[in-house]
Amino acid sequence: MRVQTAQETSELRLPARPAKLAAAREYAHEAAAAFGFDAECCYEVAFAVNEAVTNAIRHGRPDEHGYIHLSALADGDRLTLAVRDSGTFAASAAASAASGEGGRGFALMARLMDAVQLCVSSESTTVRLSKARD
Amino acid sequence: MGFFYISDDGTVDGAEHGNDVVVLVAGGEIDYSASPQLSERLADRIDGGITRVVLDLSTVTFIDSTAIGALAATATRLRELGAGTLAVVCPDENRRVLRIFEIAGVDSMIALHNSREDAIAELATVS
Repeated sequence: MRVQTAQETSELRLPARPAKLAAAREYAHEAAAAFGFDAECCYEVAFAVNEAVTNAIRHGRPDEHGYIHLSALADGDRLTLAVRDSGTFAASAAASAASGEGGRGFALMARLMDAVQLCVSSESTTVRLSKARD
Repeated sequence: MGFFYISDDGTVDGAEHGNDVVVLVAGGEIDYSASPQLSERLADRIDGGITRVVLDLSTVTFIDSTAIGALAATATRLRELGAGTLAVVCPDENRRVLRIFEIAGVDSMIALHNSREDAIAELATVS
């Protein structure tokens, strides 16, 4: 996989099962390494993606084929990993972010990435995790 | 699927303190495919009457928020039982895992120790 030129995207369809979390981390780590991040940044990106995919598995909903969708977008100095599921869990996401375990997951993502965005539409929920090169 | 294991690693005789210390060792990656097993194993021991638990995470390479949540819940449960304690071993060398504990802000709930000896010594002082 290569994520090098501006606006280059890669995608992964991931079965929405806890056993697939290691594959999500591997995908994120490879995208970060291909972007040129050092080992520590690669770990941070993989950690954040793992949290977002965990939330999608626990609180979201897979598509009709049982998948959640990961993508990596390299845009200039910024790498953005997106985790999208087919749930529209605005209320539960907000509740989970506000307290308890879900809150811990979001707090960790926010500390390890430069930006965390939660986008809820009528068809899907997407978490976008961005980190810029120094 | 990531690699994960958890096993009992003996009981430290605590007869003079009136309560044994159980040592559990976990290794590999503790994500949401593994954290329910971790919770279950800890709960089993507490259900069995153990109130002092050392959990050695020295060889854990990855820990997520669901695992931290499981440990926080276990520590809280032990405290509520009275005289119970969870002591987690995570040496300084395992800095990625330590950093997650730090960022998660659970240091007031979960006691971290640099070595198993330190953790056992700490629990021996709990009466």
